[in-house]
Amino acid sequence: MVAAGKQDALLAQMRKGTLQYCVLALLVDDERYGFELVRSLAETDGMVTSEGTIYPLLSRLRRDGLVETTWRESSSGPPRRYYRLTKSGRAALQAFKAEWGPFRDTVDHFVERKT
Amino acid sequence: MSTTPDKLVERYLKHLEIELDDMPRDRRRELVDEIAGHIAEARAGLEHETEADVRNILEGLGDPAVIAEDARERFEVATPAVGRPFKAGWMEIAALVLLLGGALIIPVFGWLIGVVLLWVSNAWNVRDKLIGTLFWPGGLGLAVFLILFPSGSSGGATATVCEVNPSTGQQFNCSDSGSDSGFAVGAVGALLLFAIFAVPIITTAYLAYRLRNQPAAATA
Repeated sequence: MVAAGKQDALLAQMRKGTLQYCVLALLVDDERYGFELVRSLAETDGMVTSEGTIYPLLSRLRRDGLVETTWRESSSGPPRRYYRLTKSGRAALQAFKAEWGPFRDTVDHFVERKT
Repeated sequence: MSTTPDKLVERYLKHLEIELDDMPRDRRRELVDEIAGHIAEARAGLEHETEADVRNILEGLGDPAVIAEDARERFEVATPAVGRPFKAGWMEIAALVLLLGGALIIPVFGWLIGVVLLWVSNAWNVRDKLIGTLFWPGGLGLAVFLILFPSGSSGGATATVCEVNPSTGQQFNCSDSGSDSGFAVGAVGALLLFAIFAVPIITTAYLAYRLRNQPAAATA
């Protein structure tokens, strides 16, 4: 039996591990600024518990060269930092998708099986 | 009333900055700037901002400690020493003993070893370490040195000699001050004497106190 606390921690780790690919996926078609990304992720229940934790992730992605940023003037306030996928960001997302699909199906196969 | 939301935001960002203290400077700046931008963006989207709105924005962002913890994990920065329960080991005890009295056992070097141990240990933060190093260099060794060799220095040390003499009843036998100023010099001397003896003892007590209260230090 897995204790409830341990299970929570495990789910948090899974969320944390997959979050970066959700962010990369959100940037596939369009560049977006931080607040916009946070809003999109927060709309989906359970993906982020603390919105602020997106920013360390974005910073890390930028340093790893998976996204790049540009400042743009905003009509409604201070300039915004826009995030855009790089070539290697796109490649990382593709590689993840190739692994994730079969992985998800396999887990579903066992977890969803009627006993 | 209108300043309250600003104060809340300011306090939040300050708190975040403190929590990110151990992150590299550029990353800390970037995170604080981005989160400040997020807050500004969210506030700009409100028609009639209330204090509750701002509180909701900040709560949505999450506890600065949680964000900092996440940032440390993302950037593989070690958890700060103050965040963990810390057990004082022989190194911390040795550091305290040597800082206070090391110079009396092995002149100069005894204290230097104490300083090295103080800085190597992760039981104290940088502020504590600076206090331990600067008050006073040499620990009690400095006091003893000044009393044994007063002629080498002027002013303060001479006054110290005046203060030592009363025990033998020779208060006015100060080497180079007249009897009129003897009292004043004696008073200054008493203060100096107090400072050079008491300060290292107080410093050591403070460091020992910090050693025993590490979890409290994490919230500072």
